Amino acid sequence: MRTDGNVRIDVERSLLQSADEAAAAIRALLSERKIYAINLISSPGSGKTTLIEALLARFDGKGGVAVVEGDIETEIDAERIRKHGVQVRQINTRSSCHIQPSRLLSVLREMDLSETRLLLVENVGNLVCPAEVSLGEDARVVLLSVTEGDEKPLKYPLVFRTSDLLVITKTDLLPYVTFDVDRVRRAARAANPAVEIFEVSATAGSGMSTLLDRIEALRATKN
Amino acid sequence: MHELGVANEILDVALSEAERHAAKKVTSIRLRVGVLRSIEPENLFFLFDHIARGTPAEGAVLEIVEEPVRVECEACGVSEASSFTWECPRCKGSGVKVTGGDSLSILSLDVDS
Repeated sequence: MRTDGNVRIDVERSLLQSADEAAAAIRALLSERKIYAINLISSPGSGKTTLIEALLARFDGKGGVAVVEGDIETEIDAERIRKHGVQVRQINTRSSCHIQPSRLLSVLREMDLSETRLLLVENVGNLVCPAEVSLGEDARVVLLSVTEGDEKPLKYPLVFRTSDLLVITKTDLLPYVTFDVDRVRRAARAANPAVEIFEVSATAGSGMSTLLDRIEALRATKN
Repeated sequence: MHELGVANEILDVALSEAERHAAKKVTSIRLRVGVLRSIEPENLFFLFDHIARGTPAEGAVLEIVEEPVRVECEACGVSEASSFTWECPRCKGSGVKVTGGDSLSILSLDVDS
């Protein structure tokens, strides 16, 4: 309903602008300190914390890993990681379904990152909100466990479009579930032709060393 | 983010633009939303109505211009789809790239000065 005195203002502005500005500030902070940052995204219980633990074991003695844990509530994951003797901070997002870049920025500013070379950010467990917001990361890793079903890339395309690595987890359970790995690979490639796909089982150990080698190589690109 | 976060961003941008143009009231807001954003319009409208109360954007109507998924097929070229697909809508081939459909932006506001 346009009336007299009613004018149209053209704006053409991304609604992600303020989040993008915070992400750019994170990127600058990381690049100044030569820290490689990974944003881990998945449904709850797909294996994000387990992958972080495997990375901590891989970098043990090489030093320089810091972890930020995002959850709606509790310090459970931070306490689990703290046992590994690395610097860890928990962000409780309460009503928000993802880590806000502005929150991560203030947490990073409080941390001692002088020795840090690798930053692992475990986002809140879901495939929707974290996909919408950049945290200024160098690599985005989406995990999908075989127990979740092979239609996930079709139902949640954005996260598969924006991730650099897709890690299919719990592959030791493939004999017991209906999960077409090829279907997932095809859909993920259509969403993002450049995606690197890994199939792992943390329990059986299969595929883990290939994945950890790749992450180590990626981290080394930022020295 | 999701709908509440998006609603908050819309309100912030609308109010700052209205203030910049010395407008008293925002009457409608046009948005471009890609279908890959999985935004539920009804949910967005409801949340926006709620958070806009008591501001110059109270009662403003949100109009959504939907951006389709853009599919590039090696054989058929560019076509559009209304949801994510890894098949070409025309030839059903799987040699496709998804190259659009994730916009999330505010296009324009109608304001009373």
